[in-house]
Amino acid sequence: MTHFRRGTALVAVSALAGVALAACGAGNNSGDSNSGAGIIVGTTDKVVSIDPAGSYDNGSLNVQTQVYQYLLNFPAGTTDLTPDAASKCEFATDDPTKYVCTIKPGLTFANGNELTASDVAFSFNRIVTINDPSGPASLLGAMKSVEATDDSTVTFTLNAPNDQTFPQVLVTSAGPIVDEETYPADKVLDDDAAVKANGFSGPYTIAKYSKNQLAEFKANPAYDGTYGKAKTKTVTMKYYAKPENLKLDIKNKDIDVAYRSLTPTDIADLEKTDGINVVTGAGGELRYITFNLETMPGDSPEQKLAIRKAMASSVDRADIAKQVYKDTFTPAYSMVPDGQAGATEAFKDTYGDAPDADAAKKFLDDAGVTAPVTIKLQYNPDHYGSSSGEEYAAIKRQLEASGLFKVDLQSTEWVTYSEEYNADAYPVFQLGWFPDFPDADNYLSPFLSPYDKEKSGNFTNSHYNDLDTEFADDEMTKLLDSERTDGDKASREATLGKIQERLADQVPYLPLLTGSQVAIGVDGIDGLDKTLDASFKFRFTSLSK
Amino acid sequence: MSTAEVLAPLEPAGAPTPTRRRGPLSPLARYLLVRLALLVPMIWVLVTMVFVLMRVIGDPIQAALGGRLNAEQIAERKADAGLDRPILTQYWEYISGLFRGDFGTTLTDNRKVSDILVVNGAATLELAFWSLLVAFAVGVPLGRLAARYRDRVPDVLLRLFSILVYAAPVFFVGLLLKLAFTPFGWPSSGRASIATELTLQDVHPKTNIMIVDAILWGDPALIGDVLKHAMLPAIALGLLTGGVFLRLVRVNLLQTLRMDYVTAARARGISERRVMNKHAFRNALVPVVTVMGMQVALLLGGAILTETTFEWKGLGYQLSEYLIRRDFLAVQGIVTVIALIVGAMSFLIDVIVAFVDPRVRF
Repeated sequence: MTHFRRGTALVAVSALAGVALAACGAGNNSGDSNSGAGIIVGTTDKVVSIDPAGSYDNGSLNVQTQVYQYLLNFPAGTTDLTPDAASKCEFATDDPTKYVCTIKPGLTFANGNELTASDVAFSFNRIVTINDPSGPASLLGAMKSVEATDDSTVTFTLNAPNDQTFPQVLVTSAGPIVDEETYPADKVLDDDAAVKANGFSGPYTIAKYSKNQLAEFKANPAYDGTYGKAKTKTVTMKYYAKPENLKLDIKNKDIDVAYRSLTPTDIADLEKTDGINVVTGAGGELRYITFNLETMPGDSPEQKLAIRKAMASSVDRADIAKQVYKDTFTPAYSMVPDGQAGATEAFKDTYGDAPDADAAKKFLDDAGVTAPVTIKLQYNPDHYGSSSGEEYAAIKRQLEASGLFKVDLQSTEWVTYSEEYNADAYPVFQLGWFPDFPDADNYLSPFLSPYDKEKSGNFTNSHYNDLDTEFADDEMTKLLDSERTDGDKASREATLGKIQERLADQVPYLPLLTGSQVAIGVDGIDGLDKTLDASFKFRFTSLSK
Repeated sequence: MSTAEVLAPLEPAGAPTPTRRRGPLSPLARYLLVRLALLVPMIWVLVTMVFVLMRVIGDPIQAALGGRLNAEQIAERKADAGLDRPILTQYWEYISGLFRGDFGTTLTDNRKVSDILVVNGAATLELAFWSLLVAFAVGVPLGRLAARYRDRVPDVLLRLFSILVYAAPVFFVGLLLKLAFTPFGWPSSGRASIATELTLQDVHPKTNIMIVDAILWGDPALIGDVLKHAMLPAIALGLLTGGVFLRLVRVNLLQTLRMDYVTAARARGISERRVMNKHAFRNALVPVVTVMGMQVALLLGGAILTETTFEWKGLGYQLSEYLIRRDFLAVQGIVTVIALIVGAMSFLIDVIVAFVDPRVRF
């Protein structure tokens, strides 16, 4: 028994010592305890894979942006493509289906291996070969083949001549250049192996890595590219499961920057916090309603069109932006967000910027539609942020306020949702879009291109321009082909304007909101405003404190 | 062993000793062998259930990647994962893989499940350890106190407290703790501060158990930092089990105090304090040790919520992540390991009880 009492006493003393040690130990939450970590950036985005062949998501792209080089890239503050690993890229004058890039001499990966044209061709070929379901192979649909014609020249053969979107694709998730000596040609390299291989030639390398927990980036002294010299030697990325923990840590100044994804309410709260700065940048994220042209209400194409137009005349975007998103989103009057070259406000011109019940009623009356029209409206509560429920409750309220609609609002979790909308299960439903590259075409072609049973070219399954249906639109196809291959900026923008006008007339989609990029920094952090630009790349090289 | 047997206090010294069976093995060895023999089918049933459940809920490839793949790609992925083979072949590969330490590869991010188990499993074990410590620190002394003041105000309050902490959702308790303590500089999430985590990535040998790594590094500031981060999640999860321990200690102590040998001790003029400590308390703890094994499953279940609440990147956290992504191959691997842990803990508790309580060996 004496032993037992001694043991108990020992446990008690140990526990007390532990508490004492904890209470007066490290981590006084002033941020000092993390001083060795450089700038600390917190995020809730998850990394699927560091290897570009295995990922096509924001979390992975964020890491790839820091550690890989691309042939071309966007310098801070512009969407003008400039050479990164390439010294120049251009369409061949004798054959406009050839896009030829010359690689800068003397480039190396951080592991010492040379970066040559062969590595570049290898990088693109393996993405297509591996064709990972989580990977970006679909972005390379315009590419027929790629080869290294010599040590410093890469030649892409494209499906269409003068494809103006292809140079932009080189800056997307499909564009990072990897080291062919350390990356396998036929499978995705796991993250730990990628870190160990150190086949990075971007502005940073990864010094320490614990997947979706912590990643320490160190400036790469050998980097020679678009972003220039990094202002900060060490940047640490901390990954959070829950936005509320991210919010708490930035509020307590345990981290320096919070980038994606806090709720609008959290952002509004942080705006009032001393020593915290909320920085917003160009909007690129789109929220819109999709109409399944086959299953939506209406007895004829004319009636269906009238219902779509009536809905376009009944929504109040500004109200949703203010009440639900606390102005972190702004009204979108086109599928192409304001700020992109060629963007117009076609929906505002056609339907106005406020609800117009009379105009909506006229659309229905003229087509012989009896009001109220029952709309089965579907949204998902998890994929586009926690405010989707409020957003769609507001839309239901607005539509029903006109007296012309009765909305049956339903929600389904994303995994099921993504299967069901593709299977014609939802007549009218929510979708969102985050662009692959900052070009108007990227907000149009994925939605308006012609498609067949394979559905390649249009992921929404709205049946708009579905070649097997009455909704095929040859005129739209011609306009899209024209803008994609038009090297003249002015005439291309004019064509883009016509496309958006036609889109507003036919309303296969109803654009609602554009999301601004938001980052929160503590006092003393500079450069957030420089990286939140229309290129949608979060560059550590811009940050300093 | 029935619950009644478990909860029955020890007989006093001098009670008639059962006749020992003859045989080449000692009763203790025989008892442990039987337990070990029973453990094998139990684990087999557990892992088989996991396998069957993961197949019953549908096609794992379709669930995880269905929205992004066409039929041909789904078929290809099925072949890669071996899911196109006959169910018995899949089962054999699954079971033989377990013996090789191969728990499969995740569908959504191409990670070896065994890597997840090494890194995140260590975090969960650490949290379970701290939580059990809290559970004992709360449950045992308070149970004793409740028994001492039987049916008086402290006892009623303590019983109410035990019900509250057992019934309150662990994430809610966690949230309350965060709200209460973070304004005073207590960390709200994580297993250590970022600087500490980065430093401990360089420790050799690396155990992934943060406190062990901090001790190996040898910096008291780092040890303090790790302890500070462990405090709130350990309390949130430990209180859940602490409530159970409190009631168990109380009930068993009261039962023991009514036994003849305790009455005899009192009659011999032994002080109440000595009666409690020397004669009653130790015997009352035996059922607590037994129930502790059962509580491990509860702890691991609670860990899912606690780990998510406190960004404690353990198995529970990973399990919830992969469940959200419908990555059922990852879920299968993680749940299998949790089942193995529960089985192993059950055996370990049997061993401990056998040493503490001689009756179970006969």
